[in-house]
Amino acid sequence: MTGERCARGMNFADVFDYWTRDLPTADAEQVEQHLFECSECARYLEEIVAIGRAIGTGMRGAQFQSIVTESVLNSLSRDGLRIRTYTPDPGKTIPCAVWADDDLIVTRLRADFTGFEQVELLLARNDGVELSRIKDIPVGAATREIVDAVPAARLRALPACQLRLVLSGVREGKSQVIAEYGLEHAGNVVRS
Amino acid sequence: MRSSQPWQEVADAMLAETIASAPAGTATDAEAELYRRFAPRVRLFGLKHLREEAAAQDLVHQVFIVTLERLRAGEVRNAEAIGSFILGTSRTMASAQRRVGNRREALLDRFEDANAMAAPLDAATLDLPRVARCLDTLPLRDRTILILTFYAEKPAPDIAAEVQLAPGAVRVARSRALARMRECLSGGSDRTRPTPA
Repeated sequence: MTGERCARGMNFADVFDYWTRDLPTADAEQVEQHLFECSECARYLEEIVAIGRAIGTGMRGAQFQSIVTESVLNSLSRDGLRIRTYTPDPGKTIPCAVWADDDLIVTRLRADFTGFEQVELLLARNDGVELSRIKDIPVGAATREIVDAVPAARLRALPACQLRLVLSGVREGKSQVIAEYGLEHAGNVVRS
Repeated sequence: MRSSQPWQEVADAMLAETIASAPAGTATDAEAELYRRFAPRVRLFGLKHLREEAAAQDLVHQVFIVTLERLRAGEVRNAEAIGSFILGTSRTMASAQRRVGNRREALLDRFEDANAMAAPLDAATLDLPRVARCLDTLPLRDRTILILTFYAEKPAPDIAAEVQLAPGAVRVARSRALARMRECLSGGSDRTRPTPA
């Protein structure tokens, strides 16, 4: 399967839309009928489902780092993940730590994104070692903060150290820092 | 009748005819091939409509019991349409399962078990660290769209509202992201970004 359609002419995007319930009922029934006649599309759908389930499993297992939306955060809470949230103010440093039972560490970064594009988030130690960089964070007119979710297991491996979060972007053709935040990371904390 | 072709190359209709024309239960190879081809499709149908792996697996068993019984009894009139027959059987059986499921949910609502365990996570068939690396190679908006699609199970219009795109653009981005994931998982590069801490 290499093109956009199967050998019998079905558009693979329609198979995807069938799975995500984005097709009107009549069209969905047509795709469903086709799936029972076309092994190529059936295999394609199997792949979609396998990838989808892996993404779902990875999210529920707090295995992915990503900028997330509020609705994803709500779903993670409903799924029982233990989420620790930090909300540093721009230009300030706050203490933070990862506790033994944390699943996900969420950092809410508020800033004025007006006019910015190509926004990126750098996480680095104060000694300059870069830990992660997320590029092309979509921001719109309504964006007031971005929500970065990091698996606690990843941060647990960090020793106590000073961390910097730097949001930067391009405005009027110039690359510039939007805001910078400090985290005084106390390392992995175990309740006694 | 079947030539000397391997079963894997025989058309669906020929498989159905072979099962129908053989004494009941003797066309085991043809039955196994029919199962190999259609069981995954019935399972996917079950997952879509019944939303649970266990229910989908039950559906596969029920549909194949009926399909093989009807074929052996010569009650499938049009072997060419064996796919449609299996789909029709799946629809009927899934509808019956949903009714049972609804009754079960109503009973659970009335007599909720306070000690009920959360459903276990699906056994991942894909290597999760590799999925994570492949997901990391996607542009952030595409990654978010896949997460909203598969984890939050949101339809395109809802995703569009969240990521400030048109629904059509979401569907395009979603297909593109899936294609990149498939390419990455099948051996393409998943090392284009530094591994986060």
